[in-house]
Amino acid sequence: MPSINGSDVKKVVVACDAGMGSSVMVASTLRSKLSPHGVEVVHTPVNEIPGDATVVLCHQGLAARAQSTAPQAVVVPFAIFMGDPAFTKVEQAIKNGETLES
Amino acid sequence: MSFSDAEAQAKANKNRTGAGVSAQVQRLGRFMSGMIMPNIGAFVAWGLITALFIEAGWINKIAEGLNGAPNDGVMEWTASVAVLVGPMITYLLPLLIGYMGGKLVYETRGAVIGAVATMGVIVGSEVPMFLGAMIIGPFAAWCLKRLESTWQGKIKPGFEMLVDNFSLGILGGALAVLGKMIIGPIVSQLVEWAGEGVDFLVENSLLPFASIVVEPAKILFLNNAINHGVFTPLGTAEAEETGKSLLFMIESNPGPGLGILVAYMLFGPRMLKAAAPSAAIIHFFGGIHEMYFPFVLAKPRLIAAAILGGMTGVLIGVMFNGGLVAPPSPGSIFAWIAFTPPGIGNFVVMFAQVILAAAVSFIAAAFLMGFGREARREDAPEDDTAADASAASPTPATV
Repeated sequence: MPSINGSDVKKVVVACDAGMGSSVMVASTLRSKLSPHGVEVVHTPVNEIPGDATVVLCHQGLAARAQSTAPQAVVVPFAIFMGDPAFTKVEQAIKNGETLES
Repeated sequence: MSFSDAEAQAKANKNRTGAGVSAQVQRLGRFMSGMIMPNIGAFVAWGLITALFIEAGWINKIAEGLNGAPNDGVMEWTASVAVLVGPMITYLLPLLIGYMGGKLVYETRGAVIGAVATMGVIVGSEVPMFLGAMIIGPFAAWCLKRLESTWQGKIKPGFEMLVDNFSLGILGGALAVLGKMIIGPIVSQLVEWAGEGVDFLVENSLLPFASIVVEPAKILFLNNAINHGVFTPLGTAEAEETGKSLLFMIESNPGPGLGILVAYMLFGPRMLKAAAPSAAIIHFFGGIHEMYFPFVLAKPRLIAAAILGGMTGVLIGVMFNGGLVAPPSPGSIFAWIAFTPPGIGNFVVMFAQVILAAAVSFIAAAFLMGFGREARREDAPEDDTAADASAASPTPATV
């Protein structure tokens, strides 16, 4: 099962179906939280998650597709697009060097 | 862990949760909408030029309103600009779709041969060839990919460019001819039947029943597949003929989602209640419908509210001849306003479609949530509201 230590995360990929709508929004809110820690946040369609992605955030309805596109990556599913506990979890893990698991 | 281990793991996860089928359907839908969505900006450009410059467009209407009579000088000028409308919808948009369809299959070379082959179906038909482009673009790219795989690595150094250019050129030319002679006429016929099918649904007031399929499919993240895979191509063809299409208003109506979010604002459980207002703003004004899907997934019976709201919007459109001139994407109220044809009546119908859809879905959702009784029950026994959001909806496929 893919896992990664928060302090090794350099880039977080936010994925949605088209890579044009909700992922852009989530990425822009996340960017302001994570850029102080030197983490880049990008958005893509869920079918085009880059092969070097280590941490992927996407809605739980798309998580299976995300994991099969990027088997190497830690996929963190979330339920709602704003204020979801998953966002806090990722932020905390990066800040405190905790382990993230798919 | 090796790559194949991880892949097996992903497969096992999929089987365990039964998400395989829905992921497959999503993937097919993504392929169809993936040809259209990157090109939506071009549809918007076409839609704006059409809305402004055609004979019944904004500029002529406004000039007429100011003068009290049609202004010949203005009409001559708008007519000279409106020559853009035809070639853009006949050539530019299908070529972009064929290009993108090819690109999805075989990168840049696939994109180029996709556009070449699409030209064949365009000239081989009477109607705008969106569907034809969606078929022949990826098909041409797939053919090229297969053909080139037969001699990959066997070409003598220095001859690659010659082989590459002539293989694409010969195959692309052949497919364009095939498109002109065979695929174009067949697809024209299919599009004509599809158009007749839609006409039949409209004339018999059956179109509202489309919402029974469309609204649940949206929640399963098939919103783009349905809207841009089906309604955008059919609707654009219809709009080119009649000036507007109701098909643009079936999936993209921001009303039903708004009703559900407002119901959550008043009657939802504490955790989701707090998230609902900002979700409503982004959904309604920003047009990102994904914002409300989690709220329906958290209480799946609310899908009934979305369906009833959606049906209301479409029904009003059928009754009062509603329609938009171009695909509103994203489905924001601003996009709806921008693409409503000139005329007060058109705006009244459009706003009625949105507001009544929102009202019906609000009432249904409020009723289904017991006007807050249920939320009070859910909130009372425990304070751990943070766990609610993830526990409320079906478990994610991979954790």
